[in-house]
Amino acid sequence: MLDVLDRRAVLLHERAADREEAIRRCGRVLVETGAVAEPYIQAMLERERSISTYVGEGVAIPHGVSREHVLRDAICVVRFPEGLDWDGERVTVCVGIAARGDGHVALLAQLAEILLDPERARALREATDVDTVIKELT
Amino acid sequence: MPERTVAVASRTGLHARPAKLFVQEAARLGVPVQIRVDGRRPVPATSMLGVLSLGAVQGTMVTLSAEGDGAAEALDALAALLSRDLDE
Repeated sequence: MLDVLDRRAVLLHERAADREEAIRRCGRVLVETGAVAEPYIQAMLERERSISTYVGEGVAIPHGVSREHVLRDAICVVRFPEGLDWDGERVTVCVGIAARGDGHVALLAQLAEILLDPERARALREATDVDTVIKELT
Repeated sequence: MPERTVAVASRTGLHARPAKLFVQEAARLGVPVQIRVDGRRPVPATSMLGVLSLGAVQGTMVTLSAEGDGAAEALDALAALLSRDLDE
């Protein structure tokens, strides 16, 4: 997963008022690191409105459905230490995903494997430095 | 143990949206169903993370299994769901 995670796309001390703001933050990181074009952020918001991207263990995986605005496969990790209400669930980590083709399925499978291990899931939720996040996702 | 093996029909595979619809239906049916892909340990059909960890893309063969009351009906319902394109 490491090759799709840019160090600059790991933000560990973010705040957001609500789910929409959190998704915009994730989208912004993907834009700033050259993974997606601006309209992808809107696609992420639309996807979230159709069905929640909460996956469990305090983690949501916002992403757009259209591949149109994806420039390269990438993920970002944005942590909200104070937690966010996510359609009734509490989220502290967003893993934003940009992928063309089937790349995201393998990526999600790897992420799910990590989150199924309670120790690794906690390490990811409580990470306070970029190296820990990169280590956990490798 | 009753089983059903089907190919995942959804274009984007069994990930976010199709996976969530599948997990919700499995929970609604209330029968403990396991799902697996070849060579890997089964996971509960009600576990979003478990289902995501299968890494199933369109065309991947997955096997559902369950025991007890209502097993056959639950397996039929979930197999039918996987045979549809849930991205539509």
